[in-house]
Amino acid sequence: MVRWIPGDGEEEKALLAELGLSSIEELFRDVPAAARMSRMGLGAPLEEPALVAAVDRILSKNQTLGSFDAFLGCGLYDRYVPAVVDGILQRSEFYTAYTPYQPEASQGVLQTLFEFQSLWVELTDMEVANASLYDGATALGEAMLMARRLAPGHRFLVPSNLFWERRSVLENYTPPGDCQLVEVPVDSGTGRLDLEFIAREARNDCFGVLVEYPDSYGIVEEGLLDLRRAIGDTPLVVSTDPLALTLLEPPGAWGADIVVGEGQGFGISPSFGGPLLGLIASRHRSLRMLPGRIVGATTDVEGRRAFTLTLQAREQHIRRSRATSNICTNQTLMSLAFLAYATALGPKGLARLAGDLTEKAHRLASALARVPGLAAPLYDAPFLWEFVLGTGRWDPREFLEAMERRGVLAGVWPEDPRAGRPSLAYNGVLVAAGERTDDEAIERYRKAAEAVVNPAPPPEEP
Amino acid sequence: MSFRQARWEEPLLWEVREPKAGTPSSEATARLPEAVRRRKGFRWPELSELEVARHFTRLSQMNFGIETSFYPLGSCTMKYNPRVSEVLARRPEIADVHPYQPEGTAQGLLAMLWELEQGLGRITGLPNVSLQIAAGAHGEYVALRMTAAYHRDHGGGARDQVLLPDTAHGTNPASAAMAGFTTREIPSKNGCVDLAALEAALSERTAAFMLTNPNTAGLFEEQILEIADRVHKAGAILYYDGANLNAVLGKTGPGKMGFDVAHLNLHKTFATPHGGGGPGDGALCVGERLKDYLPVPRIVKNGRKFHLSYDFPRSIGKVKTAYGNVGLDLRAFVFMKAHGEEGLRRVSERAVLNSNYLAHRLGKHLPRPFKPLVKHEFLLSGAPLRERGVRTLDLAKRLLDEGVHAPTIYFPSLVEESLMIEPPETESKRDLDQFFEAFLRALQDSPERLHAAPMNLAVRRVDEVKAARDLLLSWRDLERVGKLAGSPDPSPSVSGTAKPSPLPAK
Repeated sequence: MVRWIPGDGEEEKALLAELGLSSIEELFRDVPAAARMSRMGLGAPLEEPALVAAVDRILSKNQTLGSFDAFLGCGLYDRYVPAVVDGILQRSEFYTAYTPYQPEASQGVLQTLFEFQSLWVELTDMEVANASLYDGATALGEAMLMARRLAPGHRFLVPSNLFWERRSVLENYTPPGDCQLVEVPVDSGTGRLDLEFIAREARNDCFGVLVEYPDSYGIVEEGLLDLRRAIGDTPLVVSTDPLALTLLEPPGAWGADIVVGEGQGFGISPSFGGPLLGLIASRHRSLRMLPGRIVGATTDVEGRRAFTLTLQAREQHIRRSRATSNICTNQTLMSLAFLAYATALGPKGLARLAGDLTEKAHRLASALARVPGLAAPLYDAPFLWEFVLGTGRWDPREFLEAMERRGVLAGVWPEDPRAGRPSLAYNGVLVAAGERTDDEAIERYRKAAEAVVNPAPPPEEP
Repeated sequence: MSFRQARWEEPLLWEVREPKAGTPSSEATARLPEAVRRRKGFRWPELSELEVARHFTRLSQMNFGIETSFYPLGSCTMKYNPRVSEVLARRPEIADVHPYQPEGTAQGLLAMLWELEQGLGRITGLPNVSLQIAAGAHGEYVALRMTAAYHRDHGGGARDQVLLPDTAHGTNPASAAMAGFTTREIPSKNGCVDLAALEAALSERTAAFMLTNPNTAGLFEEQILEIADRVHKAGAILYYDGANLNAVLGKTGPGKMGFDVAHLNLHKTFATPHGGGGPGDGALCVGERLKDYLPVPRIVKNGRKFHLSYDFPRSIGKVKTAYGNVGLDLRAFVFMKAHGEEGLRRVSERAVLNSNYLAHRLGKHLPRPFKPLVKHEFLLSGAPLRERGVRTLDLAKRLLDEGVHAPTIYFPSLVEESLMIEPPETESKRDLDQFFEAFLRALQDSPERLHAAPMNLAVRRVDEVKAARDLLLSWRDLERVGKLAGSPDPSPSVSGTAKPSPLPAK
């Protein structure tokens, strides 16, 4: 058996003797007999070598992204993480610690969180950030609830092309009763968000407007930059991608009230979708409405710089039912991954990566545009490393399956799989370029797509 | 024991080297309309790899972790995080798998998640499990949304109230409020639920009663079956906050106790690392009443194949991106497999034994409220120290000087000047005895020494009042007020006498 419980039984005897007890069972005499459990029905213990072998046997049934030509994204990306980042994450002082309730014993975690907040403020050009939320989708939910604390009204405007998972999470964060999600139409021909609809509706009983930048089709909508004027004082919530902000005019510069995002692409492996990192930033004026932990700089009694959790009066452990959020445990270690990754790449490295990925996606789109029957990109609009590939008369799922048989994970069909839900406006898949999308991979995608979409005619019957 | 923490005056990253504005490459930006191109670059320093490594290594040396320090933080279950789990969770066969790749190519992960769900179902006695839960509070919130949906479908749409004991974790009322319920606290009697008060409060408006057992006083609620009976007779859902499950593995479980739903904190009981505050790892385990409402997708086994099924029409939908904190689920799976039936039972036995041992010894020096038999954690009251002008906060800070982490303090609030101590099963008798000795030294110290604590850490006592007043929350804020490196604050306010803020559990 693994030695995660100290002693060989002798220790237990000594501890029991001190208590004047003869068996451990006496410590459970307060559990009523009718509530007792006889057996859980679990297996026998495993020694470490057998344990590792058992886990590896199970994991061997997975195929890694590296064993395909993979073009999957939808907010979660496969990017190289420099070794130094994992070295930092493996410092046990970081990964085994708890929330820094005792600041004097936790300056390491606190300073990294302060640096993380500072970095997210810098990327978004916002004013304050918290120490993390669970993921990009729940950050949307928290942002909506925060907007509701900032403004009157009962409606929240949401793009109709929001990826269905995010939409579903948002529905589950919508307060029951007097709060309603209102869909902003997206033109099925151009893929563009109806900004006039937003301008018309935002001041009509709305407590907030959500836009994505880039959106769930990968489109960077320049009209968003003029939205502030159009919507007056209604809180503007912008969901974005941290790497995109190395290229794009940050939402803080065009009047966002709350900026959220998914931080996974910065130093966090896909790991089948978790752990991820929810990012949120806002303004000084709305600071007290921000959910989650916040780290501030202060001094110790000798005037030395120090960091501590602050504004805890917003939080559940003090404010209880009147807290800004119920969040307690957050994603601190992922904030550290985000920070360490950004530090390891540096400003040039990040901007170069964003530029490279954008170039690769555009080269991929150009290559696929040459395949008759496909539309790449489906919409004529600016994009970065992700775009909609129109699959024409092909069912997107059949297209993806046929491509998989050729070793290409050709994209994500971002459709709500639950029956009876509204379907997407387009027939296509979302395709993302990654660092591994080199010219050879692009050519393999193109050839496979060619073979799938335009199969050679079968030989004529004799 | 003599202990000194490293005291690096480690600058902020922006102070290590003058930041440069990241300038986007021209080809990429040329693809974008002029209006959306970033005008001012973000300011971020260009460091060498060694500078990066050294910065973070130095910061890590100014932080307690489980591998450096005994960490008896009550309600947080700070047990050893097995190293083998760290190795396994980094295998490419999990790290390099995308949630949206075809399910046929991720059968190993689905098998692992399915087996973990089955195991957690057995451990809790609530066989329907979702792992799409980020952390404990998230599980509470999701379960309460499911509860609302359940009542709506069963003629209970008017049930708008959640009851909870006055010892409940702060997340309980916060989750209930977020889910649209009003909350009502049930007073405790001798540290446990006052059954008569609960009965009086239950009504056709009650949606759920939230309870943790053992509770936050470390006491087993012996009337749990009567509680379950009353809650069910009132038509309400009985909710189990699984923060304290480490006390009862293999002895009882929420299902046996009559709960309808339980969230588990796998980052507590199942040893996934706390990460300095997260990520957590949650699971939601439910019985018959709520099973149709669990989030989708659910993992379904068809023959030897595993499938992500969305075919649950009453499901509340999604509550998180993808399928949960899978990298952490693997660590929980490792913990469950390594211990097996026998080991998990020993986990709780040893945790409860450690707790009673330390309670017994420390109870001779500070008052212990309520009954003597505790589970995995126990409360002490620091109230007698007040005669000497000493607060529990001072004692906690003084313990840090001994190289041990402080217990949870000022929670639960029903005990004056409370300390909540949880020594998990991975601590040896030697560690417990050393903690006892350290605690005694602290108790016997002069008030002056206690007020001055901590002295041996990277910083002396931190001025939290000033932090809340100045609100310097980023490098930009420091820059704005001219407080970058090299400009120490000339007028620190002294917080040694400041009113301590409650330091919470969880």
